[in-house]
Amino acid sequence: MRNIRDIWDKAVYDFRDITALRWLEKKNIHEKSYGELDHIIRNVRTLLEKENFRGSHIALIGASSTEWLEGYLGIVTGTNIAVPLDAGLPDDELIELLNRSDSEALFLGASRANLYKKVYENCPKIKRIWMLTENEFSNFSEAEFDVPGAMEYEIATIIYTSGTTGKSKGVMLTQQNLSDNVRAVEYDAKPGCVTLSVLPIHHAYCLVMDYLKTLSLGATICINDSFMHMVRNMSIFKPEVMLMVPLMIETIYKKIAAAEADAFLRVGVNKDDGSSEVGISKAESSTEESSLMIKKALAAKVFGGNLRIIFTGGAHLDPFYIEKFAEYGVDILEGYGMSECSPVITTNTVSNHKPGSIGRPVDNVELAFENGEILVRGTSVMKGYYKMPAETEDALKDGWLHTGDKGYLDEDGYLFINGRVKNLIIMSNGENVSPEEIENKLSLNPLISEVIVTGENNGLTARIYPETELVDKKGLSPEELREEIQRFIDEYNSGQPTYRHITAIVIRRTPFIRNSTGKIKRQDALKENPAA
Amino acid sequence: MSKEMKFKEIIAQYCEVSAKDMKNALRFREDLGFSSLDFMSFLGELEDEFDVELEQEKATSIHTVGEALELLNELEMAG
Repeated sequence: MRNIRDIWDKAVYDFRDITALRWLEKKNIHEKSYGELDHIIRNVRTLLEKENFRGSHIALIGASSTEWLEGYLGIVTGTNIAVPLDAGLPDDELIELLNRSDSEALFLGASRANLYKKVYENCPKIKRIWMLTENEFSNFSEAEFDVPGAMEYEIATIIYTSGTTGKSKGVMLTQQNLSDNVRAVEYDAKPGCVTLSVLPIHHAYCLVMDYLKTLSLGATICINDSFMHMVRNMSIFKPEVMLMVPLMIETIYKKIAAAEADAFLRVGVNKDDGSSEVGISKAESSTEESSLMIKKALAAKVFGGNLRIIFTGGAHLDPFYIEKFAEYGVDILEGYGMSECSPVITTNTVSNHKPGSIGRPVDNVELAFENGEILVRGTSVMKGYYKMPAETEDALKDGWLHTGDKGYLDEDGYLFINGRVKNLIIMSNGENVSPEEIENKLSLNPLISEVIVTGENNGLTARIYPETELVDKKGLSPEELREEIQRFIDEYNSGQPTYRHITAIVIRRTPFIRNSTGKIKRQDALKENPAA
Repeated sequence: MSKEMKFKEIIAQYCEVSAKDMKNALRFREDLGFSSLDFMSFLGELEDEFDVELEQEKATSIHTVGEALELLNELEMAG
């Protein structure tokens, strides 16, 4: 059977006593084996059946945790449909998504416990809410019977992704979509291989690659509690493999580059005993070999000592980092994917990789190009967007998914990306931001006549042409206008997840340049209008 | 090395400004070019280096070097 149940049952059969998950609670490491995890997952599966949830949409709101994974697998290894939502979204957006996804029950993380009452009050379809806590899960009654897995063509998960029209779209992924992607991706890990999961679990890339794929291989997944502690956790858990977005790689590189400069400096400074803090003598430090020793010592300090592979995707990575990390014995393997493809489309592997490329297509994927746009067909391509037939029709034509990215294949079959068709802004942390969604909100301010949001310097810039009549009427000086707009932006930011924060404002002197149909030309958003 | 200098050296790892030129009025994102993840990683380092525990929500409302230093001082006093 091509479903998630089959993958999970096989993993439990093969790896029952191996540690599946490790996590920290107040600096103490806790762990659960595949067998222990399966015990709770069965309890969740039968609990849902006993409460008459069959083919029901069940949402999850919370950060990565044992309970989140037990809840998710309890849903999708039975006959229900999981709807993972971003716990960082504002309350009103989460309520809207719960309603729009027709969710009937909810697993809710303790950090969003404030939603408990609000959800019951505002989401009429929600019949049950369970908290994602150990206490709640340990009270689930023991499974006296079991529930079969879903058919391969049934929907397993609906993942919400930024839409270009300003409304997020629910990507419907079937059991086969997900299980085929899990099987098709090449991942170099043996049972017991330690991984550290640092990405948000509601993202397809994290959910499928960090969890479903590694569980299918018998890996031990360590859960990172906060990005604040990622480097510390790398030295605690000592992972061999990690998934990161480019922004994380850039941040870690800054740290390791600074530590390296410092280490070389110390080697030169400690003249008294000829030793250094990284355990290398000054005489040795002048050789190529000692430079390698310093890098090895630093890799142990920053990466934990065992890290050999970082898989990355979601945004462009400068090949410079691939070269630099290789000096520390870490291979960065870039891939390409999107929620609509469950998500991996192409990937570099340990044996087949090319810097600058995003790899070759995985086995169950075919690629084609239409006016430069990458089209994808295969068994991991979504069924469609939930209750959005027009958007589905736009994206899926004759079974080909239109990715919105432009690219080409080289003579060796490696894919390269060289542009985008749609307006989505891809942040270096892999989050996709719809500029229209933010522009719609900002243009509600009467002082803003026109606004275009652009992605610049790892942040979002709001380029604003003010409502000049109102500015004149209020007698605002340029400084006062900027202050007033900044106050409005601060207020907007306070209700948004960090990746949607406006980090810079540009007040324009002229209106934006428009095309013949009157639409603002986004590609010219940085230029003033010479005709004005 | 003074506490303040150690603190500024941690910041200097993530940007082009050296610890001795690190003015308290400098803003992490706009002036020092910190990404959101640089900032989170920096907070984690503060915790490890100075043995304090930061509340993420409070810490992420910080904009300038001086504000971060002030928070660190407050936490050390309280601890």
